Amino acid sequence: MLWIAVHLPQLSLESFAATLDPTWQGRPLALIEAHRIAQVDARAAALGVQPGAKRATALALASDLVLGEADAARDASALQAVGHAALAFTPMVCHEATDGAGTPAPVVLLEVQASLRCFGGLRPLLQQLGQALRPLGHRCRVASAPTALGAALLARWRDDLAHGAHSTDLTALRRLLDDAPVWLLGPGREHWEALQGMGLKQLSDLRHLPRAGLARRFGVGLLADLDRARGDAPDPREPIVPPPKFEQRIELFSRADNAEQLLAGARVLIARLLAWARARHARVSAFTLRMHHEARRGDAAGHSELTIGLAEPSADAVHLQSLLGERLVRTPLVAPVLELSLRCDALVQSSPPSGELFATRSSEREGLTRLIERLQARLGADGVRRLVLLADHRPERAMAWRSAEAGLRAPIQPATPASIAPTRPLWLLPEPQPLHEQAARPWLDGGPLQLLAGPERIESGWWDGALTARDYFIARANDGALVWIFRARLPLAPASDGSGWFLQGRFA
Amino acid sequence: MYSILVNLLPVLVERSAAGPPHPARPELAVLWRAHQLSATSNAVTASGFAALDVELPGGGWPHRVLTELLLPHPGLGELRLLVPALVRIAGASSSRQDGGRSVMLFDPPAALCGPALVQLGVDARQLLAVHGREGVRATAGLRRWLPSADLLWAIEQALKSGHVGAVLAWLPQRLRADALRRLQLAAQSHDGPAFLFREVDARLKPSAAPLRLLLQGAGIDRLSVRLLKRRGPPLAQPLLLALPPILSERLRARSRDESVAAAVEPRLETSAIDG
Repeated sequence: MLWIAVHLPQLSLESFAATLDPTWQGRPLALIEAHRIAQVDARAAALGVQPGAKRATALALASDLVLGEADAARDASALQAVGHAALAFTPMVCHEATDGAGTPAPVVLLEVQASLRCFGGLRPLLQQLGQALRPLGHRCRVASAPTALGAALLARWRDDLAHGAHSTDLTALRRLLDDAPVWLLGPGREHWEALQGMGLKQLSDLRHLPRAGLARRFGVGLLADLDRARGDAPDPREPIVPPPKFEQRIELFSRADNAEQLLAGARVLIARLLAWARARHARVSAFTLRMHHEARRGDAAGHSELTIGLAEPSADAVHLQSLLGERLVRTPLVAPVLELSLRCDALVQSSPPSGELFATRSSEREGLTRLIERLQARLGADGVRRLVLLADHRPERAMAWRSAEAGLRAPIQPATPASIAPTRPLWLLPEPQPLHEQAARPWLDGGPLQLLAGPERIESGWWDGALTARDYFIARANDGALVWIFRARLPLAPASDGSGWFLQGRFA
Repeated sequence: MYSILVNLLPVLVERSAAGPPHPARPELAVLWRAHQLSATSNAVTASGFAALDVELPGGGWPHRVLTELLLPHPGLGELRLLVPALVRIAGASSSRQDGGRSVMLFDPPAALCGPALVQLGVDARQLLAVHGREGVRATAGLRRWLPSADLLWAIEQALKSGHVGAVLAWLPQRLRADALRRLQLAAQSHDGPAFLFREVDARLKPSAAPLRLLLQGAGIDRLSVRLLKRRGPPLAQPLLLALPPILSERLRARSRDESVAAAVEPRLETSAIDG
């Protein structure tokens, strides 16, 4: 058995930073719990803010300090997202939020012995794990050991042990743990003063003492933890199971008024959504973003929803973010947004498309589908259209430009034998343009049109009320351009003046 | 020295066409001289007109750069000029397989007629038309003065994606120079020709596109192409190209006769139109 422990020392601060406006990036952060500072980040610590100080002291030391409330639920959802990201590597993942004595020290444990061969060894697996965790934006310390608790202790210990904190067998682990301080164990932290008073600083000191005496003075918990860490006692764990539906919310620190702030908040949610989708070995095909607005005077707080559907299921964060960004820019916000929640239950379980070095037909089609999706997200579904040929003699109804459905291929067109088909112009005006007549000739653009070929009589459409009876001619305009005009045998409108000559198209 | 001059003389009088300068003097292949067309390293799509291919650098429509086509009004025959290249890119309409690459049209001035495309041999399944949020323009005479930001963004996305076979865009007159430069930069990742259709007045303004053509009507089924700008020496005379014909030769001859005669009332033809 080989366990990897991922320790996230700044999980609370990072999950709080995800709710902030992106323009507040460089400011020092601190979390308050019970009116005292609970956690500080590196910038605030450099300015002198310590855990345990009061709010006024902290603000006096760092004037642009951002203070947030410690929220266990927010940290728990962030930890769950990291657990889901780890589920892509092994089904046996569990996490601990505290170290057994109530101090928050979140650790995610993965049992990877069975996955080593698939990922090509421990080092490549650690690299891929780091890459999978990077979009979630957490700093992690990684350690590995044959026992779960041993790996957790090594990961919680010190930063400079990151390189040497990988032990592959029990003797190496025991040697490392001998030098570990006693306060790493949960019960050790509770009784730290007593242990220190007795001169017991390291785990090796604990080992040399009689077990019955230790158990009587400090409780069985201390010995049980020590045994489990050293591998002398079994340590069964329950794996976490990803939920069937994804539903997560983040409460924004300040009200979001525009699309950029909303998109910054939604970025974290999308990263967690993709971690969950990868844990279920599937890809996302649709998700819904719900924005909770602030209550205005007189109205109750409402919410608005934005559903993004994908033509081809995708697990690409950049693509989902760009689609969401385009939709957000187009959607008007009724009120400032206080909270964002993301919901998804539409997953597609299929093998992902293989990445290729050179463009092939299928990768080009996929790339075209994504391009059409992006264009339609910004221009609307009608912005991108495909040509559909219809069987009708009336020229304006012989074809239709319908909005392209990005995932579907264009329908097979009916084959028109070119030899007996009549000549048609390439540019077709949707509405025929009336031409005025002078000296018994139609005029266009200040010059008479010379009729060259015709008439081609098209009389059709009695069944749907748009009866057209027209004689079509090919005519030559001043500069030699050919146009397609017709003379209506039935008047188009009862009050239309004059000639009855209309321009239908140009031969381009 | 006299003998060197005599040796160079036959090389100086060669034609100004693309190709190796002199088979007996291979060292001149790495020297570009002002009467030669530049040898592009990009791929080209043959335009299908031999007289035009000879004058285009590379021997066809260049890929990965913008090509500007300036015309006084749509309907001169500009699409028939591009049809042979589009057939090569999108695939023939008679083929059953889906072998071609897509062709995207941005803001065309009118609806493109499907049966006409099929007749000319272009596979209409590969065509996509993109319009801005204002919708399809109602009449052909309406011209928008300023390009919408959506349209420029859409063209840039299509060029950058690299999955589109050919791009045809209709842009109005007032196009800022930096917008055109941006499109030219985006075209570098587009493996195919990119055509921009603009008004004739744009020829007085400088443009970042390396190939600019001015199209004018020169009679029925004929197009006069003047190469305003290309990578090579300027071409003084306009080219007269014969487009895929709409009218038969008999009708074309009749139109020449009739244009001389005075205007009379239109005679109704009882014969059908010939191919």
